[in-house]
Amino acid sequence: MKTIRIAKGYNLQLGGRPSTEVESLPEPARLALLPEHIPFIKPRLLVAVGQTVRQGTPLIEDKRNASVRFLSPGGGRIAEINFGHRRVIQEIVIERDAQEQAVAFESIAESELETFPRKRLIEAILAGGLWPLIRQLPFRDYAQMELEPPMIIVGLGSLEPFQPLPEVYLAGKESLFEYGLTALKRLAPQVHVCAPDSGDSLPDRLSSLVSLHYSGPYPAHDPGVILYRVKKSPEENRAWYIAGQDVLLLAHLLKTGTYPTERDIVLAGPSATTRKHFRTRLGVPLADITAGRREEGDIRHIEGGVLSGFVGSDQTYLGFYESAVNLLPEGNRKGELLGLFRPGYRRPSYSRTFISKLNKNDLVYDCNIHGGDRACIACGYCAQVCPVDILPQFAYKSILAGEVEESLEHGLLDCVECGLCSYVCPSKIELAETLHRARVNYYIEQSK
Amino acid sequence: MGTIEKLFESWRKHFENGGRFERWYPFFESIESVFFAPARVTENAPNVRDHLDVKRFMMLVIVALLPHYAFGVYNVGHLAHLASGLSTDFGAVVFTGLKTVVPLVVVTYMVGFFWETLFAVVRKHEISEGLFVSCALFPLTLPPTIPLWQAALGISFGIVIGKEIFGGTGRNFLNPALTGRAFLYFAYPAQLSGDAVWTQLLAGRNAPVDAFTSATPLAIAAVTDRLGDAQSALADSGYSITTLLVGTYPGSIGGTSTLLCIVGAVFLIILGIANYRIVVGCVAGLLATGFFLNLVAPEGSLPYLAVNPIYHLLMGGAMFGFAYMATDPVSAAHMPVSKWVFGFLIGALTVLIRVFNPAYPEGVGLAILFMNLFAPLLDHIEIKIRLKKRVPNV
Ligand code: SF4
Ligand code: SF4
Repeated sequence: MKTIRIAKGYNLQLGGRPSTEVESLPEPARLALLPEHIPFIKPRLLVAVGQTVRQGTPLIEDKRNASVRFLSPGGGRIAEINFGHRRVIQEIVIERDAQEQAVAFESIAESELETFPRKRLIEAILAGGLWPLIRQLPFRDYAQMELEPPMIIVGLGSLEPFQPLPEVYLAGKESLFEYGLTALKRLAPQVHVCAPDSGDSLPDRLSSLVSLHYSGPYPAHDPGVILYRVKKSPEENRAWYIAGQDVLLLAHLLKTGTYPTERDIVLAGPSATTRKHFRTRLGVPLADITAGRREEGDIRHIEGGVLSGFVGSDQTYLGFYESAVNLLPEGNRKGELLGLFRPGYRRPSYSRTFISKLNKNDLVYDCNIHGGDRACIACGYCAQVCPVDILPQFAYKSILAGEVEESLEHGLLDCVECGLCSYVCPSKIELAETLHRARVNYYIEQSK
Repeated sequence: MGTIEKLFESWRKHFENGGRFERWYPFFESIESVFFAPARVTENAPNVRDHLDVKRFMMLVIVALLPHYAFGVYNVGHLAHLASGLSTDFGAVVFTGLKTVVPLVVVTYMVGFFWETLFAVVRKHEISEGLFVSCALFPLTLPPTIPLWQAALGISFGIVIGKEIFGGTGRNFLNPALTGRAFLYFAYPAQLSGDAVWTQLLAGRNAPVDAFTSATPLAIAAVTDRLGDAQSALADSGYSITTLLVGTYPGSIGGTSTLLCIVGAVFLIILGIANYRIVVGCVAGLLATGFFLNLVAPEGSLPYLAVNPIYHLLMGGAMFGFAYMATDPVSAAHMPVSKWVFGFLIGALTVLIRVFNPAYPEGVGLAILFMNLFAPLLDHIEIKIRLKKRVPNV
């Protein structure tokens, strides 16, 4: 078996690791879909407040391709539709009924699956609202079904703090996972299941399915990083990928013909008082997970990992692609007196300018920026950590200068949005965010 | 809230929007953030950020320079007393040194800070701490006899022409402190060259006592006539290898002690602030070129050609330039291989300028400025090569 060793990257020394314990949460009273956090889609609302929906009723479709729809995660009544800035649809909230009704979709028997026509399979996934779980590099929009991708990368595990562990969400679902892989193999000539090379915690039956091992610091697990290392020609740039847990959702839909509901979520981070996995539903309110399980005070609710996740709150719901809630102190107060001159035994830094470099324990993290905005001082740290060998400081400059071609040459589209360059920058330049925006603009420009 | 924090809070309103000194906010921010890191939090991914900021980065360079100040104060005072035939009692020597160095530092910082604040206010950005490093470096490169007004002029030139007209720290391609130093050299050669400027004379003297050598080692090595060899000429003037290493000889205020420069360079390299490629490259370039000249020097030619390359490292401010000026990340080469080349050529040019240009005894400053100009080209070539290796993704 092949192991990909990735040298560049960086691991945070962050505490608050989740245990492998799983607790089943009571059924939530409300569920929601968050179109705002699904990249690139142009949602058209298909429901109105007060309307009754079943589990699996389409809520929105994408104006760019009306066959791509997002379905209701539960049955009940549309309670709220919340709009944000410029009427972006933020949340579609469903109040659940006690007796939930579910839409019935086509189910495909395991014996049929291996010979099931590709086109019909795609239609079944589209109808079941789960096509967007399969995403396409480099922009991470949902996959373009009319193309055949060079490969599909299935990612098991994540090195980002903190994400659900594959040995937890796959436990007892091995055959469902295999079913899902069989379905994916109908879509692409190659399906690579990627797991960490320290992944001996996977049950035997699963480790035999793994075709690529990765090792190295965060974000060695990222499909974009793996693709960067395995690709040999530009044709392979448009690979597809899907998260390990999402393969289970897909398999559930196709096997049972019902819209899946179960989701294993991890609650972790230094400000969480209980850190473990929770079995709950897609679109669960964050408060259902965090209430009574977090410290008091100004706590940031991060949906997703600490580096790449987005800012939520205990008033929001879990996003379509997310399966982690990480809690961290907000850090919105001034630093300690003359902290500039202190050795900093517990202050994390990629550089060697704090004595914490000698501290092997967990360090103290919060969401403070820890410095003022300055011009680039050419320290080179950003280039040292970038897992895909971009020179973020130069790519950044070419973006600011409006030189799109030059930034592409620099590998703009290889960027996996890991956020490490912004993390390490002493001048506090928003490198990753700038690169991200440039990619989005380029993509939108291109698909016009 | 502590007392100091309250104090800043009470001042803050005058500097914020609508306050009396609103325009001077960069000044306030710069001072306040020395005491307290700001309370700003992230608004987008990544949610967490490194604790290192530019302030700490630059502060550590200044920490590395402090021993040079301590040494410089002592050396300036000590030499002044020796040359003037006064007692070399430690307290008296230090007092004389302080009387020379402190005003220079104060003037440099006041003038430098003034320009930086002015540009920050006009451009509406925060004050960059690169300034504090430039202002810490600049006095160390000057002769102790420099008039204060010249120091003020020099740092002004360095900050304004060397940095601000290019857009400020991060956009400059010359080292500001060196730019100011070079300007002074060309504008006021009388105060920056010759044997007389490197030692102060006290007690109304206008010539040193007889036993005192005021010629710098570089001057001696450069003017030795064909008959003697440069090394013995140095030894005759009392400049043994140890003296040169420790730095107790006439020269710029803080640049003579090669030993301290090595300590400082190692300190900065361990912290990851100075890049080892540049420092090692510089030293290698200097030694290799010195050695090469030894090999090709014909019998009976310029004795300077035959000087043991180690002397080049020990004499004058070469190591000071390598450790603190060449490693300025902004004006140095940015790419790894380019850094080697950049360093090596600085070392080589330092020797060549010293040996072949008698009008300019110390070559390191010009060598660094010259390579500052070429660094972008080196980077450009290396980046082009590197980008060719990528699998295109468009
Ligand atoms: S450019 Fe920045 S965000 Fe993108 S992959 Fe490199 S380090 Fe990560
Ligand atoms: S980390 Fe920031 S300051 Fe350092 S080179 Fe990159 S952009 Fe410049």
